[in-house]
Amino acid sequence: MADTLLSVRDLHKHFPVKSGMLIARTVGEVKAVDGVTFDVETGKTLGLVGESGSGKSTTGYCILQLLKPTSGSVRFMGKELTELGREELRQTRREMQIVFQDPYSSLDPRMTVGNIVGEPLAVHGIGSRRDRTSRVRELLDVVGFNPDFTNRYPHEFSGGQRQRIGIARALALAPRLIVCDEPVSALDVSIQAQILNLLKDLQRDFQLTYLFIAHDLAVVRTMSDVIAVMNQGKIVELGPAEQVYTKPQHEYTKALLSAVPIPDPRKMRERKVERRRLRHALASEL
Amino acid sequence: MVVQPGEVTRDVGGPGAYAGTAAGAPIRQTSLWRDAWYRYIRNRAAVLAGVVFLVVLAYCLVWPAVSPYDPYKVDFSQARQNPSLDHPLGTDRFGRDMLTRTALGGRVSIGIGFAATIVILVIGVAYGAISGFIGGILDNGMMRFLDALYGLPYLPFAIITLAIIGDINFWSMTVALAIASWFTTARIVRGQVITLKENDYIRATRAIGARWYRILLRHILPNTLGVLIIAVFLELPAVVLGEAFLSFIGLGISPPEASWGAMAQEGREVYRTSPHLIVIPSVAIAVLVLCANFVADGLRDALDPRTRET
Amino acid sequence: MALLDVRDLKTHFFTREGVVHAVDGVSFSVDRGRTLGIVGESGCGKSVTALSIMGLIPKPPAKIVAGEVVFDGRDLTKLGERQLESVRGREIAMIFQDPMTSLNPTLTIGTQITETIKRHFDLSNERARKRAVELLEEVRIPNAASRLDDYPHRYSGGMRQRVMIAIALSCNPMLLIADEPTTALDVTVQAQVLDLLDELRESHDMAMILITHDMGVVAETADEVIVMYAGQVVEQAPVLELFDHPEHPYTEALLGALPQIEGERIREARLTAIPGRPPDLVSPPPACRFAPRCPHAGGDSCTETMPELRELRSGHWVRSAHPTSERAGRPVGASA
Repeated sequence: MADTLLSVRDLHKHFPVKSGMLIARTVGEVKAVDGVTFDVETGKTLGLVGESGSGKSTTGYCILQLLKPTSGSVRFMGKELTELGREELRQTRREMQIVFQDPYSSLDPRMTVGNIVGEPLAVHGIGSRRDRTSRVRELLDVVGFNPDFTNRYPHEFSGGQRQRIGIARALALAPRLIVCDEPVSALDVSIQAQILNLLKDLQRDFQLTYLFIAHDLAVVRTMSDVIAVMNQGKIVELGPAEQVYTKPQHEYTKALLSAVPIPDPRKMRERKVERRRLRHALASEL
Repeated sequence: MVVQPGEVTRDVGGPGAYAGTAAGAPIRQTSLWRDAWYRYIRNRAAVLAGVVFLVVLAYCLVWPAVSPYDPYKVDFSQARQNPSLDHPLGTDRFGRDMLTRTALGGRVSIGIGFAATIVILVIGVAYGAISGFIGGILDNGMMRFLDALYGLPYLPFAIITLAIIGDINFWSMTVALAIASWFTTARIVRGQVITLKENDYIRATRAIGARWYRILLRHILPNTLGVLIIAVFLELPAVVLGEAFLSFIGLGISPPEASWGAMAQEGREVYRTSPHLIVIPSVAIAVLVLCANFVADGLRDALDPRTRET
Repeated sequence: MALLDVRDLKTHFFTREGVVHAVDGVSFSVDRGRTLGIVGESGCGKSVTALSIMGLIPKPPAKIVAGEVVFDGRDLTKLGERQLESVRGREIAMIFQDPMTSLNPTLTIGTQITETIKRHFDLSNERARKRAVELLEEVRIPNAASRLDDYPHRYSGGMRQRVMIAIALSCNPMLLIADEPTTALDVTVQAQVLDLLDELRESHDMAMILITHDMGVVAETADEVIVMYAGQVVEQAPVLELFDHPEHPYTEALLGALPQIEGERIREARLTAIPGRPPDLVSPPPACRFAPRCPHAGGDSCTETMPELRELRSGHWVRSAHPTSERAGRPVGASA
């Protein structure tokens, strides 16, 4: 089981900062991803956690080659993705898919549910039209979406249902890796649990490998075997989930963990008193 | 929703859950277009303008066929009559019934309007979509070129184009007016394409390995439809006004054919004695332009993607 | 006497699809100096409740069709717009979720604070400015005096929310309504802002209504908690009591659905999801609104009659025919 499906080495993504009216000049760089290295084993989940602007989504896009990395290596199923030609990359995309955060902007409002889920099959010319129709129904059934609604449009459904449609589309090509980019952060708690359970079930049933990107530490914890904590484009801590959460080494991880609100009033009050004490101690020192 | 007998709920919230709960049912059943329609008909001014627009269109199309008068037949005994029961809008200096002539002129004015608008859309969509979709240096270059074209004054541009074509007829005027005024549409389309490109569904389509033309044709262009419909009603009045102006300065359709601009030009010479000859075509132009603008406003409010959700 | 007393409030939206019963008979009260947490999922009516108190619901389509909002002895639903304006900001202040759109990008931070101060107090420009600096210092904006003339885009999300809090505090309100004040912020910033709100509530002797979807935020900040579902209050209790002994099946399920951060075998465990989704508020279930999703629903008491909000124990109210303590030893979900 310990074979590595995805291996990222020293990944960088810098965005130019442009200035000037008529002729834009590059005046600087933002290092959105600044030397990221990690491996993901087949069938496991790597949780990539960090606050907004930490570069976690950009890392995901760079791995999928939706953004071209500035430098670094992304090896997936033994292939160096950054060096693949257009057609080879197109074929490799069948093996790696993505689920997005926003269930509203991730589905084309002018396509029916059936066409959205069937599009990956159509793009890769898999099966006849009839095969595809039955495969779409199958996929929708797997994600818990009533297949009788294939002719409806996405805006007719709630956020949770739309997210199921997005997951069905990601599953259509039977990929090995799915990048989940904040897949539940736009959903209500009760719906979030449904989607997280679904993702867990799918991983078990289809031996999926996840790169699970989220800002919510509890959500990442429930999904991940290995956790990478990102801050300002860098991974500050990487390790088995249990270890990162119970014995955090890096100060940033500690700060992050101590700030998470947990549904336990007693513990929260203790923490609050502790934080207040720390701040006053700090203030009197100055 | 009724629970179907025989279907098993495998697990709460997991696969198959839709069978045991109402979770899978659509939460709303109106289409985007129907929503837009409801928003549109709530806007009284836009509805009124739309109705007037359709009435004017129907009048121009139908009236010359059913009118008792031949719009081309010259009869000097009937020349320059004021409005009467026989001729509700009077007659022109050749004794032709103005109600019929105005409908005929409307055919040409509106015809050129629509034809030029279609040409504008074709050029504008192609230019804007390519520029916005490809982006980068090409986009930059194409937009600077557009800026340069913007600097040219609209009507002289059209006049020069007409002069180059040489012949003045329906099609040459269509082409001249379209070539002078597709820039705005190109800009609008480019802006829309750039916005759409940032949507996650475009990223998702790239992630499944779709080629660029599929992304452009299947996902981006269909989603610009809303702004294109608005663009039609913004460009149409501009072209109609342009045509009227060209005709008014004598660069229009030649007699015995008529357009509203050409009719106004004819009426100009006798405006002291028979003011209705200039007033009627002018009012026709004004009504059409005003209506199209109100319709465009109504459509913009109805189709604005930002108000579409909720 | 309570500072704010909301009695049987009903706010409905009259839309093309029908009447949306967004808030449907909500009652609660807030005492001086206390924090009431209102928790629920999107569409449960928690924000509309807050906007109804402030008289800020969009009319049309919304309308308060019944109920009273008694604040400091006056029924706010009976006040005219002019009188309400003097209550808003001056006596009840509100902060919203999105600190990015709450500030006008074309005016400096200083201008936006002094404007509010001068609307309610007769102060010279200089005095108002001085007060603005004090307020910014109070919400812990470093180098307040020099940052007064900055435009909002120079402030981060957390700083902007602090500015919103400063503006809210500028008139020493008796009640602060915070609608998802930290939802748009990162966790570390969220903790700071919640701490700040709590300390300011104490030092200003304000009452606070904190509206949130996050059980953790409620646990951290509230004294008393209301759980809302489908436009109604389904449970109300002091915070410790609520988390120790949740009674309503919905509260129980909500706590069970939360991913845990501490504990054993988290990775392997499944979450206790709540099947289905909240009902459509145009035609909600005729009786108990949670019945279609409730694991304990059954019999006429759930599908025929609307359960009343009843006091199960002192201070613990619940709207359910089958609260936990009345179900013999069948705990469902992970009650914390």
